[in-house]
Amino acid sequence: MNKVFFLAVKDIRVLMSDRGNIFWVLVFPLVFAFFFGAIYSDAGEGPTGMKIAVVDEDKSDFSTSYISKLESSDALKVSLLSREEAIEQVRKSRIAAAVIIKKGMGDGFEAIFNSEEPKIEIAADPSRKMESGYLQGLLAKAQFEALSGNFTDRNWMKDQISQWRGEIEDANDLDTRQANLFLDLFDSFDTLFDDINDQNLKMGFNGDILNFSQTNISRESDGPLTSFQITFPQAMLWGILGCAATFAISIVKERAGGTFQRLLVGPTGRAHILAGKGAACFITCSFIMCIQYIGAKLFFKMPVGDLPLFVLAYLCTILCFVGIMMLISTLGRTEQSAGGAGWAIIMIMAMLGGGMMPLYFMPAWLRSLSNISPVKWGIYALEGAIWRNFSLMEIAIPCLILLAIGFAAFLLGVYSLSKQQD
Amino acid sequence: MIDVQNLNKKYGNTTALDDVSFNVGKGQTFGLLGPNGAGKTTAIKLLCGLIRPDSGIVSLNGKTDPTLIEVRRSLGVVPQSLAIYEELSAEENLHFWGRIYGIRGRKLREKTADCLKIAGLLKRRKEKVSKYSGGMKRRLNMVCSFLHEPSILLLDEPTVGVDPQSRNLIFDTIEAMKKEGRTIIYTTHYMEEAQRLCDKIAILDHGKILDIDNVENLITRHGGPSHIEAELEEKISDVEKIKMFVDDKDIQLEERIIRFKTSQPMESLAKLNRSGLRFHSIKVQTANLEDVFLNLTGRRLRD
Ligand SMILES: Nc1ncnc2c1ncn2[C@@H]1O[C@H](COP(=O)(O)OP(=O)(O)OP(=O)(O)O)[C@@H](O)[C@H]1O
Ligand SMILES: [Mg+2]
Repeated sequence: MNKVFFLAVKDIRVLMSDRGNIFWVLVFPLVFAFFFGAIYSDAGEGPTGMKIAVVDEDKSDFSTSYISKLESSDALKVSLLSREEAIEQVRKSRIAAAVIIKKGMGDGFEAIFNSEEPKIEIAADPSRKMESGYLQGLLAKAQFEALSGNFTDRNWMKDQISQWRGEIEDANDLDTRQANLFLDLFDSFDTLFDDINDQNLKMGFNGDILNFSQTNISRESDGPLTSFQITFPQAMLWGILGCAATFAISIVKERAGGTFQRLLVGPTGRAHILAGKGAACFITCSFIMCIQYIGAKLFFKMPVGDLPLFVLAYLCTILCFVGIMMLISTLGRTEQSAGGAGWAIIMIMAMLGGGMMPLYFMPAWLRSLSNISPVKWGIYALEGAIWRNFSLMEIAIPCLILLAIGFAAFLLGVYSLSKQQD
Repeated sequence: MIDVQNLNKKYGNTTALDDVSFNVGKGQTFGLLGPNGAGKTTAIKLLCGLIRPDSGIVSLNGKTDPTLIEVRRSLGVVPQSLAIYEELSAEENLHFWGRIYGIRGRKLREKTADCLKIAGLLKRRKEKVSKYSGGMKRRLNMVCSFLHEPSILLLDEPTVGVDPQSRNLIFDTIEAMKKEGRTIIYTTHYMEEAQRLCDKIAILDHGKILDIDNVENLITRHGGPSHIEAELEEKISDVEKIKMFVDDKDIQLEERIIRFKTSQPMESLAKLNRSGLRFHSIKVQTANLEDVFLNLTGRRLRD
């Protein structure tokens, strides 16, 4: 045991003596997390489209045209549901929000612009501000489009005006002079709508005056609160990957350089040496984890849902890659060949597993292919602890997959290492 | 102490060792002398159990399995290729190797200091090995195997690529080890080294041992006659008179200089002197291991 410790300490010292190594395992992942975290935080949910439900309680011409505008938007995936269904879906996190069009929406201007009693209600989780703001923008746009459709419809406008004319003629508290002023105005509107071309009519309105009521629905499981919750699991995987590659290469280097043989000639067995490497890799990764965790908390204010589960997920991920390190170390006889092959494999695992691009940006076929990548399971387990609010049972699945992959790779690596002559 | 019987080792079609047998007594220094590719490194690897022979027995201290931990503790191997951590300093390297052998605390510090002194690296002990010269690395490579005071030392060409000064330092160290009663196996392709250090030498070529003995016996057996060049005080005219005393038929006379070969240089010169010849100067070139190798194989040690 002592020997394994001294071997591990030596390995860490050798690793730390190289600034390049420190950069790849420590600095690069943090830069990665920060850089992409900052990029994604502006991107919202992105190109796949936000899933929302629309509840049409108005069932007017206007609400129908409004919904068709929402449906035609690329940024949204709209399903029509009842109020109860929609709210349930929000609670289950299956959709980002429910948009409820209340009765009276199609009754005309007053109904639409009445800020006392908004005719559109958004039901969403209050913590997802990013998406909520994005959605409000999209709703306003659709509403404006639906409205301007009506404005350009002269008959609809003329109806509105004759309705107002009727209201004014009926109004007893207006004196005749004032009433005639309005009626003159409406007359000139009538002629205006006859003369004006469509283009001019479309201008002059914007969505600012629209208003919504917001209903808060707490979800059973939260989405990511900040984009750093998406990029940090990726960054953590990069740290572990860098570490695994570095130690795999160090095994090859020792074998090529002769120190491995020298150790074998001493009172150290192969098992000691490999255990030392594994321990060094494990210790270094754990150290990196602490740094990353502190960085995430301190500088990026990243919330971590469940710390014990996070530690569990991280440990399983590290163990998995310690095993993979052993396997990579058997891929070549020289530093260059093993390093090249090792990084190629790591890149493929990372690309497939969502280490570069978050999984939800990927097409479906690639997403199902990603199941073979331990990077995916690592990220999934970490996300489970950070924002997916996994239970112990739920997180056990990716954790067990990670441990199984790691164990298999470890056995395979040690086996083929012992087959190769030194 | 070390007993090797009928070792055979092939790498694919290459025969690296062919029926090699020898034994080394306690405290003896045994030399394996042979050119590149003779099988020296292969022999060392078989001795320390890094590779297994196709057939044959290696016995160290009476144990036939060199991979046993008790055997390994008593074994010090200096590999031909540098096997040290370039990223660490000399001191860190020594500390590491010492700890691997279970040396701790004050003993470790003392042994490290000793080894640094032997290697002449005391002043630069804190520097990274990657900044050392080739010779310094070689010296460190060697002393890393001395920390645990092994009773058997296997040195595989420890002087390759070092300057004469470093080489002398290495020789002194090995001689000191010898005095302490350690058993040493030393491989080299420099015959002067084998001649200076070894009690017993095996001439190895193409994996075969051609002969084993001490230097004198090897030279007497295979070295051929010594070359003598003598300058006389006065010119002589009659070569036949000299031929009576020297058995070399090809004796050459050139003004006052005579040249001849003889297997007993001192006796021949004494006889000539008694016959009345006065020598101004004498040059005796006795046969060496180079000649032994040449006579055994028809080739020189180094081409
Ligand atoms: N791992 C190996 N695979 C194949 N052939 C090998 C291997 N190691 C050594 N050989 C061959 O075995 C023979 C003996 O090699 P060895 O290294 O023992 O020679 P050596 O006497 O140590 O030479 P040198 O003075 O160059 O170090 C050579 O022909 C070499 O090519
Ligand atoms: Mg050799």
